[in-house]
Amino acid sequence: MEVLAQVGAFGQFVARFVRSSLTHPLPVRRTMEEAYRIGVRSLPILLIISTFVGTNLAVQGYNAFLPLGGQSMVGMFVALAGVREMAPIMVASMVAAKAGTEMASQIAVMRIQEQIDALQVMAIDPYWYLVTPRLLGILLVLPALTMISIFVLMAAALGVSVAQLGLSSHEFLVNASNAARPIDLFFCTIKASVFAVVICLVSCFYGFRSGAGATGVGRATNLAVVVSAVVCAVLNYVLSEWLFG
Amino acid sequence: MIERLEALGRFGRFAAAVGVRLVTPPWELTAALAQLGILFRRCLLPVLATTTPLGMVMALQGLAIFDLYGAQRLLSPLVSVATFRELSPVLASVLVAAQGGSSFAAELGAMRISEEIDATEVMAIDALRVHVVPRFAAIVLACPLLNFVGSLGGIVGGWISAVLMKGEPSGIYWTNLFLLTQFSDLWGGAIKALVFGAIIGLTACYQGFYATGGAPGVGRAVNDTVVLAATTFIVANYFLTTALFGAIGG
Repeated sequence: MEVLAQVGAFGQFVARFVRSSLTHPLPVRRTMEEAYRIGVRSLPILLIISTFVGTNLAVQGYNAFLPLGGQSMVGMFVALAGVREMAPIMVASMVAAKAGTEMASQIAVMRIQEQIDALQVMAIDPYWYLVTPRLLGILLVLPALTMISIFVLMAAALGVSVAQLGLSSHEFLVNASNAARPIDLFFCTIKASVFAVVICLVSCFYGFRSGAGATGVGRATNLAVVVSAVVCAVLNYVLSEWLFG
Repeated sequence: MIERLEALGRFGRFAAAVGVRLVTPPWELTAALAQLGILFRRCLLPVLATTTPLGMVMALQGLAIFDLYGAQRLLSPLVSVATFRELSPVLASVLVAAQGGSSFAAELGAMRISEEIDATEVMAIDALRVHVVPRFAAIVLACPLLNFVGSLGGIVGGWISAVLMKGEPSGIYWTNLFLLTQFSDLWGGAIKALVFGAIIGLTACYQGFYATGGAPGVGRAVNDTVVLAATTFIVANYFLTTALFGAIGG
């Protein structure tokens, strides 16, 4: 019952947000600021994580195919698993954990300090002022971050395959390019855009609904990251089935 | 740079203090069990709700490959190995960090901000022993438990995708399931989850216990917990995979 009420409230939030965004001019400058904040600040962590997910995928693929005598398939495994699945979902969950929680806690703090009420008093639409630039910003950067992550992941996997697992780099690259088609990269940007919308709207929604005090802000931040991670994981299956199935 | 080092040193001292209290009595067993129950209930649904769809995706992509070689019967062994070794430990821990770790950081942070922790210390009660150690122990124990549940979710997810949606025979899926799985895979996954749990527990308790700066400070502590814990254990995961399942090619 409570869940249904929340879904309803979320629908209302989205409807109000869409109406405010359509009736106001585009906030270009603030969108750029948000894109910079979300993109550049998440980049160092994403680089670290992509590197180690790539190295781990290579080791994992090697171990999985070793009993079948198919060590040379590591390149294919990394290309399929990494490009199609791991990179988009991993970037989405890290951005949810970093930028999403930041959005939720910023907006929640504004809510409990009555800054959002102050905005309304000044006849500034809070949805347009707070949510629109964040949504456009994350929509701009998440596909780009995914592409960077794919590149780093593949490079790290190649490095480990050659240096640690003793495979030939030529074989790896041929296998990888046979498995992942260029169109897969385009599909990844579709996935990333969907995840971007989910992360931003869910995080802002919980920020707007924040309860009072430090506990309320903590709770809003917490819910933002968990709900966006779960929704992204479920949507990932739907998108994979539709794009690659 | 100096500040970073200072923070690292403080974290080390905090970890040592928690470790000492973990092995010396008196233990707050009831508190730890209560926290474990809360944590398990909070994380159960999110863990299942992420491992199951990812198990489904794995079966979907796996079938795409195995169809090429006519080796569909190898699908379920690979799903189970990948789930036990990688998918479930990492995903369950990400969710424990996002749901459990961050909520513990928020609780401890709120207690710090509202000076409850100072009040405890004024009453000559060891705040670390009463507030931190039970939460840390709960996270460390919850990770392997939720890892087990998550593994089941991943395997059932693979079954849903392969059998119900793609029409592979159900009998072949279940008979071949443990073809390549060894006990070391189960153990390895559990050990991984245990290590990830320790990383999450320490990070969350440290961030919450030393939160400063009112409500925004608590928000920041929660945020840092998830990001730091997840980054650390994804890096640790690569080394653990290599150490536990051995992959030095020749």
